[in-house]
Amino acid sequence: MLADKMEILKESIPFLLKGAFMTIELTTFAVVIGIILGTILGLARVSHNKLLNGIAKAYIEFFRGTPLLVQLFLLYFGLPNIGIDISAYFAAILGLGLNSGAYVGEVVRSGIKSIDKGQMEAARSVGMSYPQAMQYVILPQAIKRVIPPLGNEFIALLKDSSLVSVIAVKDLTRQGRLIISRTYESFLIFAAVAVLYFIMTFIMTRIVNYAERRLSISD
Amino acid sequence: MIKVEDLHKSFGELEVLKGINEEVKQGEVVVVIGPSGSGKSTFLRCLNLLEDITAGKVYIEGEQINSPQADIDLIRQETGMVFQHFNLFPHKTVLDNITLAPIKVKRLNKKEAEKIAYELLEKVGLKDKADSYPSQLSGGQKQRIAIARALAMQPKVMLFDEPTSALDPEMVGEVLGVMKDLANEGMTMVVVTHEMGFAREVGDRVLFMDHGIVVEEGDPEQIFTNPQEERTKEFLAKIL
Ligand SMILES: Nc1ncnc2c1ncn2[C@@H]1O[C@H](COP(=O)(O)OP(=O)(O)O)[C@@H](O)[C@H]1O
Ligand SMILES: [Mg+2]
Repeated sequence: MLADKMEILKESIPFLLKGAFMTIELTTFAVVIGIILGTILGLARVSHNKLLNGIAKAYIEFFRGTPLLVQLFLLYFGLPNIGIDISAYFAAILGLGLNSGAYVGEVVRSGIKSIDKGQMEAARSVGMSYPQAMQYVILPQAIKRVIPPLGNEFIALLKDSSLVSVIAVKDLTRQGRLIISRTYESFLIFAAVAVLYFIMTFIMTRIVNYAERRLSISD
Repeated sequence: MIKVEDLHKSFGELEVLKGINEEVKQGEVVVVIGPSGSGKSTFLRCLNLLEDITAGKVYIEGEQINSPQADIDLIRQETGMVFQHFNLFPHKTVLDNITLAPIKVKRLNKKEAEKIAYELLEKVGLKDKADSYPSQLSGGQKQRIAIARALAMQPKVMLFDEPTSALDPEMVGEVLGVMKDLANEGMTMVVVTHEMGFAREVGDRVLFMDHGIVVEEGDPEQIFTNPQEERTKEFLAKIL
């Protein structure tokens, strides 16, 4: 009996690992999109340009105010319905990335806001333009402050990525469900899935802590 | 050098500057005194457009700085500013604090910028601190670096907003000393300070501000020993 279960688990591991790598891949792409988009949104949120600011605010509120699952459905089922074809894989990355961008945007905005106003004034007073002051004075200081909350954001993103399993992307959760549909070992397999998620978030937490420590040394 | 015509500044409903007319000559050191909230900082900040001007005109070397055609970044290069709280860049070394703007704004190469920076560090007596970070400096040292940073852009005017009021008493002298040297070299300076000794020794003229106007101005000796206006007398009685 126990030996049977061990055998099932052993046979499942390659599939689960494949799923875990898919989860890492999706999360990595989403993080990249999230950072780029979030930085743009955060900068727009602190700019004095009312139009840019308004657009960024609306974007952030929409993506934070609606469920990620619905956003994924909108991309994967909704877009083809209006004539835009999209693969499950691409819909997953796009959905996670667009969603993450909204959260990162908020983090970047509050990171910039947390820098003393005197820094911008000092930079401007020596003749730097607003973009120069941002690039050389404000952002380098803000980065240190946003690393911890960004790390938490990306750990949450990795866990939330399990939602893409419902749009037929073979991530870790999906692989688990596929194995269960063949073996009916829900407890065993979901436990293994949970352990794999935990290992991934555990490693991510260490990386974030390390980065945090490295950055605080130069203070 | 600087000419201010009927300068008004409001923050929303609150009118902070209510019509200031002043002229600062080349090489002149003007000291601004007055109670807290009287508009001294705002006045100074209008001179380098850290505040946008509500009404009136400000000219620097004959050029109106608050006109739509004016190049704000260029104007700010020519008017150095020293703040009460130093505002050094904490993530950069002393040397990088000083060379950042010359390199990024004036496009000097690193070598030229560092040469200027070392000369300035020599001048403010902190050559050995080039590689330190601001957090490793005392308040007086930070302020001297802040002065060096402003001077690195080779400004025509220096604005000081209570440069010694955040310092421990024993550090005030070293900063005033640097400012005095600067004045003796002929720098045009507008200084908000309550250091009466400095005002008397270095200042060419004292402006007393209250409630957004210049109530009285004149020779430092005259203002301090024989003020004409009641409000000036009251204020001096409090701080002397
Ligand atoms: N950014 C601002 N927004 C609103 N009110 C301001 C702002 N800056 C200054 N004030 C107000 O303007 C008045 C003058 O301030 P300030 O110029 O700093 O005075 P001082 O430097 O003489 O103490 C004060 O009443 C202050 O509260
Ligand atoms: Mg002030």
